[in-house]
Amino acid sequence: MTLLCFFIISSLMCISIVLLKSKTITKIITLGFALMHIAFTLYCWTNLNKTELSYFTYNSAGVLLLSVLSFLAIPTVYHGFIYAAGDDVKKYNIYHAALIALMTFMSGAYLANGMTVLWIFVEATSLAVAALIYHDRTEMALEATWKYVFICSTGIALAYLGILFLGFIYGREDAANLSFTSLANIINQANPMYLKIAFIFVLVGFSTKMGLFPMHTVTIDAHSVAPPPISALISTTLMNVGFLAIFRVYTLFSSSPILPFMNHVLILAGILSLLIAAGYMLKAKHLKRMLAYSSLENMGLVAIAVGVGGVGYYAALLLLVLHSLTKSSLFYQMGQLSRVLHTFKLDESGRYMKLYPAGALVLIIGMICILAIPPSGLFIMEFMIFKGLVFNDQWFILIITILLLCFVIYAMSTRIMHIIFSDPRNEDSLRPPDKVNPAETISQFVLLGVVIIMCFYQPPFLVDLINQSISIFLK
Amino acid sequence: MVNYLIVLFAITLVYFASAERLIIYSRLIGLQGLLLCGIALIELKEVSTVNLIFIASESLVFKALLIPYLLVRIINRSGVSKVHHQAMPGFYLLILSIFALLISVVLANSLINPFINTIYMAIALFTLFTGLLLIVTHRLIISHLIGFLIIENAIFMFSLAVGNKMPMLINIGILLDIFAGVLILGFFGLRLKPHTNELTTLKD
Repeated sequence: MTLLCFFIISSLMCISIVLLKSKTITKIITLGFALMHIAFTLYCWTNLNKTELSYFTYNSAGVLLLSVLSFLAIPTVYHGFIYAAGDDVKKYNIYHAALIALMTFMSGAYLANGMTVLWIFVEATSLAVAALIYHDRTEMALEATWKYVFICSTGIALAYLGILFLGFIYGREDAANLSFTSLANIINQANPMYLKIAFIFVLVGFSTKMGLFPMHTVTIDAHSVAPPPISALISTTLMNVGFLAIFRVYTLFSSSPILPFMNHVLILAGILSLLIAAGYMLKAKHLKRMLAYSSLENMGLVAIAVGVGGVGYYAALLLLVLHSLTKSSLFYQMGQLSRVLHTFKLDESGRYMKLYPAGALVLIIGMICILAIPPSGLFIMEFMIFKGLVFNDQWFILIITILLLCFVIYAMSTRIMHIIFSDPRNEDSLRPPDKVNPAETISQFVLLGVVIIMCFYQPPFLVDLINQSISIFLK
Repeated sequence: MVNYLIVLFAITLVYFASAERLIIYSRLIGLQGLLLCGIALIELKEVSTVNLIFIASESLVFKALLIPYLLVRIINRSGVSKVHHQAMPGFYLLILSIFALLISVVLANSLINPFINTIYMAIALFTLFTGLLLIVTHRLIISHLIGFLIIENAIFMFSLAVGNKMPMLINIGILLDIFAGVLILGFFGLRLKPHTNELTTLKD
């Protein structure tokens, strides 16, 4: 009943924003939604493993990622208010209605307990994201939106084929929703070839959302033009939706004989993602695209972590959480950077420390955190992945991974340092910087602070929730 | 009877590989919609009448009429009539298409399942491969769109194969049709500027 209320109130909020045509009311409603989302997440924590409306369960992995979304809700809303402040009422309202819709659809996807419902919510997120990427109504925005919708549609079509293959395994009316519980009971009797095909389709299809190779291009282009607070969501919580969809199928099939096959495929996808990320980061000339490739690199690491197994499962989930906090703070900072420098192009950027010291500090700390340099919490996760690779005697994968990460560290650190300390290479295009209040960076420092604390202390409630999420592998 | 329709459907796929005029593509998409409507009416004997009417009318209205109509409008607006920017000559595409058919037949025979007819599986896989081939080998946006619509038809055919037992899967597949028909073709397709052949502004 609580979940139904959440969906109904969210829908009413979207409708009221579109109908009432007032910026003040929109602000109040959007802030109200963020608070409601936090309250709903707290309710989910207190009702773990409870099923509502037949199709949703407050499962531990879903609640973990829902909590990340809740944690980012208020900063995203706050930075959205600043970003859209200059828009006319219509654009302002569409932005916020689509934002509420996106967060509601993502919440539904996290909590779905069946493949078909999960797929429907993932498909719905594409609609909301399309409206948000198209926010600026420019030709580039149209191109990015077109590519996003087209590639996502192809991806979800392929993911649906994976679901159909699951349907062929079952073929009974009472499992029409293809719930994970009903499928788990028959997975061992299924033809392994069907399971392999279903897994490949699901992996390729949902990699459009996870931003993993081979469908990673969709998010890279979207980041070039999406408003920074939206990039923060696409690059973190939406990627988590894609991961969860793949992880659910992986968990479901883990009791079948195709587990080694799935591990090999995930490691291959992870290595290829790292390779592409490292290659493109070395020639990146656009700051937001570079951050998007950094997300591809982190998702590659997550895929490798799951493929490694053992400690890798824990590392994968915590890496997702910490990556979400770090990357979102960097994308929020991009909003301020564009107001100071008026560009995301590296050749036209520079002297950021002099122009906006608070923002430059966020970039430095954010860079340290995202590159997993101690005291970043991500360092512990990457260390656990390497430990898993050594434990499995996968030395070749370990060497390739470390080598590619070195390229990533070099590419990102040289570019960020250039923006902060060097003069712009192209001085002619410089425009006078706007004044930006340093207080706008508070939320970013808070998020990065949490990531650093996690290097030294991981709260027991979080560890318990992650362990519950991977309990099937701990048996 | 249903087997004849499926074979006819496969012939349209081979024709896709050899055709070069975009208007032919839109007609073939319409024809495939009609054939799928026929297959649904014959094959889905166990679903309720209301559901059958819904599925048949969806395939007729969306697949056979609305989507081809929108495609023709986009083709007229874009000012491009032939696939002259394709990366691969038609002859090689035809050979690849025949090769895809052979792989589909072999794969379908290795995936024998009590819930699904082998001919459905073979032609649905062939449809999927044809759609992917069109997307990979062509450069025009419209060709990519048509490739996507063919993949959608593959999904519809797959879902018809289990439709009697799991009608919900067909209804969800229909959601995908509406998503593609209304959003991709209706909203974005028609907003693309005339003479837009490729979208390459956003790159590294």
